[in-house]
Amino acid sequence: MMKKPRIGVFVCHCGINISATVDVEKVKEYAKTLDGVAVSKDYKYMCSDVGANLIKESIKKDKLTSVVVACCSPRMHEHTFQKVASDGGLNPYTVEIANIREQCSWVHDDKKVATEKAKKLVEAAVAKARLLEPLITSSIEVTPNALVIGGGIAGIQAALEIAENGHKVYLVERTPTLGGRMAQLDKTFPTLDCSSCILTPRMTEVADHPNIELLAYSEVEDIKGSIGNFTVKIRKKARFVDADKCTGCGDCAENCRLKGRIIDEFNMGLNKRSAIYLPFPQAVPLIYTIDPNHCLMLTTGRCGKYPLCVEACEADAIDFNQKDEVITVDVGAIVVATGFNLLDPSIIPEYGYTHSPNVITTLEMERLINSAGPTKGEIQLLDTKEKPKSITYILCVGSRDETVCSWCCRIGCMTALKHLYLIREKLPDAEINLCYIDIRSYGKGYEEFYRTARNLNINLFRGRPSEVRPTKEGIIINVFDTITNKLFEIKTDMVVLVPAVTAREDAVELARKLKISTSSDGFYLEGHPKLKPMDTATGGIFLAGFCQGAKDIQDTVAHASGAASRALTILSKKELEAETYIAVVDEELCSGCGICISVCPYQAIELITEDDKKRAKVNEALCMGCGACTAACPSGAMQQRGFKDKEILSMIEVLSK
Amino acid sequence: MTKKTLVFYPGCIMQTEQYSYEISLREILPVLDIKLVDVEGFSCCGEPLKSVNRMITLVLSARNIALAESRNLDIFTPCPICNLAFRECKNILDNDDKIKEKVNGFLAEEGLTYNGISKVIDLLELLYDIVGLDYIKKHVKKPLDLKAAVHYGCHAIRPSEIGRSDDSEEPRKIEDILEVLGVEAPWYPEKLDCCGGLLNMNLPETALTKTGEKLRSIQEQGFDLLVDICPWCHRQFDSKQKKSGETVAYSLNLPVVYLTQLMGLAFDIPWGKLGFNLNLSPVNTLVEGR
Repeated sequence: MMKKPRIGVFVCHCGINISATVDVEKVKEYAKTLDGVAVSKDYKYMCSDVGANLIKESIKKDKLTSVVVACCSPRMHEHTFQKVASDGGLNPYTVEIANIREQCSWVHDDKKVATEKAKKLVEAAVAKARLLEPLITSSIEVTPNALVIGGGIAGIQAALEIAENGHKVYLVERTPTLGGRMAQLDKTFPTLDCSSCILTPRMTEVADHPNIELLAYSEVEDIKGSIGNFTVKIRKKARFVDADKCTGCGDCAENCRLKGRIIDEFNMGLNKRSAIYLPFPQAVPLIYTIDPNHCLMLTTGRCGKYPLCVEACEADAIDFNQKDEVITVDVGAIVVATGFNLLDPSIIPEYGYTHSPNVITTLEMERLINSAGPTKGEIQLLDTKEKPKSITYILCVGSRDETVCSWCCRIGCMTALKHLYLIREKLPDAEINLCYIDIRSYGKGYEEFYRTARNLNINLFRGRPSEVRPTKEGIIINVFDTITNKLFEIKTDMVVLVPAVTAREDAVELARKLKISTSSDGFYLEGHPKLKPMDTATGGIFLAGFCQGAKDIQDTVAHASGAASRALTILSKKELEAETYIAVVDEELCSGCGICISVCPYQAIELITEDDKKRAKVNEALCMGCGACTAACPSGAMQQRGFKDKEILSMIEVLSK
Repeated sequence: MTKKTLVFYPGCIMQTEQYSYEISLREILPVLDIKLVDVEGFSCCGEPLKSVNRMITLVLSARNIALAESRNLDIFTPCPICNLAFRECKNILDNDDKIKEKVNGFLAEEGLTYNGISKVIDLLELLYDIVGLDYIKKHVKKPLDLKAAVHYGCHAIRPSEIGRSDDSEEPRKIEDILEVLGVEAPWYPEKLDCCGGLLNMNLPETALTKTGEKLRSIQEQGFDLLVDICPWCHRQFDSKQKKSGETVAYSLNLPVVYLTQLMGLAFDIPWGKLGFNLNLSPVNTLVEGR
């Protein structure tokens, strides 16, 4: 039997925020008449020290069992008043807030009406307060390890920062090597430092770090659990090469029967590789991988009389019987750093990407410029292998275009300017044209770089070309220049398209596994666009880099450090306070129908059998208190702490009177 | 067995000058088990009046569709310009009850009603989507060893917003049909260039220059012939070939044929039945030496 409730009502003026529209005195007096109210007081600022002391003293003096504060939104000060109640000797969950500011004084003009509404809101809060039960918050232990998904510069940065702080990091990378997009770049803007020169040391650091377990050529299969305690299944794909034995010498690739026959993804298909390959010489880990989709042994079961790679490998590292391995790891926080894709320009047929080999993308040009690329850094036409006499860049191919990708890629302008600079070094006499809508050079040192590039004897056309037409005499581009108001026909040898950026093709699939959301552009949705840029709506999961939205390397690294720091706020704690307002089952009422299990997004409910009776059981560590099960339960057996049906109904009863 | 029965809407140009389109259509469609029904009382499709009075265009289009509806059949418009008028009309009337009511008010004088039940079908939809490539392939008796340049014309593929039968920037259906006939039809840079036809009224010189330039580059690239599906484009490329050659000072001798004529040849329908004698471009070169 519960004690007869003794409720204290405390009405706040909030300066004039409330008192200008609500007659606080009348509300206070009205509260005194309500059943169960022992005391009713008002004060100018209830959240101030003086107001807090007023409540604390009253709790003791008037022997209160629960407290109603009529003030601003619970989002502002519920926690403050819970702490006040706790200091005063009450259970913090016996505090109920009546929001008479955001939901009353701020939205009404008529003082009389507003006062009446405030009375009702207080009365409803008192009705609920009569039924409030003290709640005990449990705590959950935190697994101090982290998972980082993606081994590009964002994942590398996040993994190193977390590992430096003394936490174990599992870094999962889908491809055979770390490096991601940055490894494909030649130089980086605006400082023109060599991309691999600044990237590869970081890759080696990851490989050598005692706290990082690098899981390259692996993919996340399944994620269970919640903040502080995730269980992650990871598939380590078979490389068909023994990682411990492979020395990375490359004799196998040299001898492969399919040498020079398989499209090289790392070089954007500009050259061919073997079926056993290392994406690039500085790959980390330095282990060869057999491409299961092309290797003759793996696709047909035989390779001539015998596989030549096996014969060539002195370390005896090749093992065609290797199988995928699925491992399970426990982590407390997850950083998602899965990067981006470039739009395939062939979906804009008028730009001729499919009709001429000399219409290429920026990433293809990046490989052509790179001295370790397929042409050893020679910029040449892809059909005749001659040096182009004229190169034309087209910016915003699909970007800022409502029919394709409405967003700005944020890297295209600077990438193109960087290329102009590098091309001018290699081809001093070539004609270089650039068609743009706007040049967006917004970062530190970017505008200065733009000025430098403008002085390189290049032609700028402000306009989106209507057509890129490959003909026998060369490629013809029609562009209307909006500065001179003239239609230009540019005749050029090579066209470089600067494509839009998009989310990874399987971004949604991973989002489903992680239970995070994507925004309308397909990138992952941050917790708040300004104040929580690395968070997701799911606790313990953070975003790093391009997977959240377009970023250059600078911003990606900053974002990744931020995500690592956010993950560390969890990992550095031994225990986390568990969610208090979780679901509980009334075992008498539960029929074991299992509807709650089907609606629970956190897999927090299971069906157990006790005394031959099936019933639902809530895992308190997993329940996030979303309330889906309580709404779905047909018998009312599922109740949410702090928001039980009887508590809510008592409020509705008052408000609908 | 009849695969589908359609009301045939010939439009104006096929009945006044481009007879070979209709002749070849009436030869090949029965082979593909498509039955055409002729309806009396058709009027202009309305398209030429669009810039003068939008409502007259809608009423004329709706009137013709309503005639097909009264037979409970879909309407087949081989001329892409008529097809555009009808599809646009359908798009507007099916989505705006107020305009539909107004149009039906005009139609009521003749006892007609537009309900929106008949589909408007063009040649590409009929051949590619309704008949299908496999069915066409079955009837190919004489595969043609030719290299053709394909011209779609603007009305068949634009504007994309109202739903045309092929992609507006990269149409492929004619090429796919030609492949079935044994005809090679590679992409060429001028594929989507204008025929010039619509400039005839006010800029006749420019019109002929456009026509001549396109024909010249096709001829220079070594194509055996040009294949089209629009009678207005065909008039430009075929009937006005000589004049356009004079305009661009180039000796043009490129056979220009309707897709339907070429299909007839592949189906082994006699040359004389396909209206080739009405083509003004040198189509005879296609059979010489055969």
